[in-house]
Amino acid sequence: MSPSLYGMRPSSSFVRIAPAALGLVLGLLALGPALGPGFTLRYDMVFVPGPVWGSHGGGFPRAVPSDQVVALLSAILPGQIVQKVLLVGIFVLAAAGAAALVPADRTADRTADGTADTAGRTAARLAAAAFYAWNAYLAQRLLLGQWALLLGFAGLPWAVRAAARGGVLRLAAALLPAAVGGFQAMLVTAVAVLPVAVWRTADGWRARARALAESVATMAVLGLPWLVPALRSDAVADPAGVAAFAPRADGPFGTLGSLLSLGGIWNAEAGVPGQGSWGTATVRLALTAVALVTFVRQARSRLEEREPYARGLAVGAAAGLVVACTGAFAPGVLQWLMGVWPGFGPFRDGQLYIAPFALVLAVGFAAAVAWLDRAVLGRFAVAAVAVPVLVLPTFALGAFGRLGSAEYPDGWRAVQAIVNRDPAPGALVTLPWGAYRAFGWNGGRVVLDPATKAFARRVVWDDALVVGLPGGGRIRVASEDPLNRRIGAVVAGGGPLTTAFAAEGVRYVLVEGQNQNAFLSRLPGAIPVWRDGELLLMRL
Amino acid sequence: MEGEAFVLKVLAALVIGAVLAGLASVAVVNVASPAPAPPNKPLYNYGGR
Repeated sequence: MSPSLYGMRPSSSFVRIAPAALGLVLGLLALGPALGPGFTLRYDMVFVPGPVWGSHGGGFPRAVPSDQVVALLSAILPGQIVQKVLLVGIFVLAAAGAAALVPADRTADRTADGTADTAGRTAARLAAAAFYAWNAYLAQRLLLGQWALLLGFAGLPWAVRAAARGGVLRLAAALLPAAVGGFQAMLVTAVAVLPVAVWRTADGWRARARALAESVATMAVLGLPWLVPALRSDAVADPAGVAAFAPRADGPFGTLGSLLSLGGIWNAEAGVPGQGSWGTATVRLALTAVALVTFVRQARSRLEEREPYARGLAVGAAAGLVVACTGAFAPGVLQWLMGVWPGFGPFRDGQLYIAPFALVLAVGFAAAVAWLDRAVLGRFAVAAVAVPVLVLPTFALGAFGRLGSAEYPDGWRAVQAIVNRDPAPGALVTLPWGAYRAFGWNGGRVVLDPATKAFARRVVWDDALVVGLPGGGRIRVASEDPLNRRIGAVVAGGGPLTTAFAAEGVRYVLVEGQNQNAFLSRLPGAIPVWRDGELLLMRL
Repeated sequence: MEGEAFVLKVLAALVIGAVLAGLASVAVVNVASPAPAPPNKPLYNYGGR
């Protein structure tokens, strides 16, 4: 039994704020160069100066309402500050939430003098915080730029806690991060929250059905900003996405081993550098085994005390793993489901549903550290807080430069001002026809075309997704939006563009990169209104 | 005896910590070694598998 932490008895306020402070430290360490001046731009993470209110793209509403919230906050604070606060906030919220799930009475045993053992409790809570804020899942999704999803990941422990305690208002408040994040964040949260709500009570099926109905209704209301446009959208889901976005092996233990270690994201370029090495991959998998065993033992031994979330969370974690494994090992099932109803499309990227499993492991790891504190190491158990960092050290410093910050060249603000000041209606087409760019000024980091978020009018872009294969082949996931598909066909035709674009209601064409002349010759009659080495803007 | 057991536990913890730190150092050194120049082209795939 440890009487103190390094000779001092932590105060209750220290116990409360320590996990959040640890999350802050881990966030600063992980983001590193991304906290410098400028915007962090990588894959799906696109923030622009002066973001505009409203959704101006076609296809499925993936960035709703996250982009609108960013636009709202950017009206108060500079956009790059908003981005940094959101990114750091993910770590703080995740760490504090995971710690909050560690029951106060688990390690707060009585010491010899009859006082509560806050040191042991602190070690366990910090362990949960460190594990949940520093793992392969968070790292990989951050490297893929999916900050909105990570808002849901960070809010997940709070949502689970609220679902276990009951109360619609409490749940609604806890779901706010997921609500801001949008559809992926809310779906991932639902996988855990719904079973927790069902299993929180030992009462009969009526009580469980009521709890489930309350949770579903709360989530549905908070999901309205994306549910309504999604149901009204005429977007289609290409079954080719199942093969493109299925989990993959990112280490020596295959796809299942990667998923159990909280990795396995489909995109090899979103992997944490060096994470596939035998040494650290083996320790991560062993850590999973330890955390899983201690989670199960704890849940069983404390069943009589009605651990109100453990069983439901376990069910959610198992369900998430099944979704992830379906894409990897039974893709035909998912393709068939998508054929029946395109609404199953979001399950094609199955790895993202292992978020509840990450929470299970964080709580299990905390239980292991609590046991270490009680039975083995005493006050030295707090050193175990460093283990999650040591088994994934290359997540530090923006995954060693994979995340950075960059200032937009002046031309971007200039074309933004020209287009957004123009009251005349009409869409903007962004060229070359491809969704992702690798700008030199952004360190060559791949990022979604910023034009998709920079203008207060409909932006037509190539929303088809091209995924490279190890052998050199490519999978092309078809465009979701009909207008994008029509414009794409015109561009691919190779002929003049002006007439066809005008017929589709296009007013502006923005050409990015150095192949401006190739498009100038295809736009006879168009008036160049801005041109520099980076951008060419033409008005039809 | 109790003191010896405690020392053994601490030694075990130190050994485990040292192994973890060693693995972490190897990973960091490998990653920090010079990497090829980043891509600089206008279009890019949405990653690769």
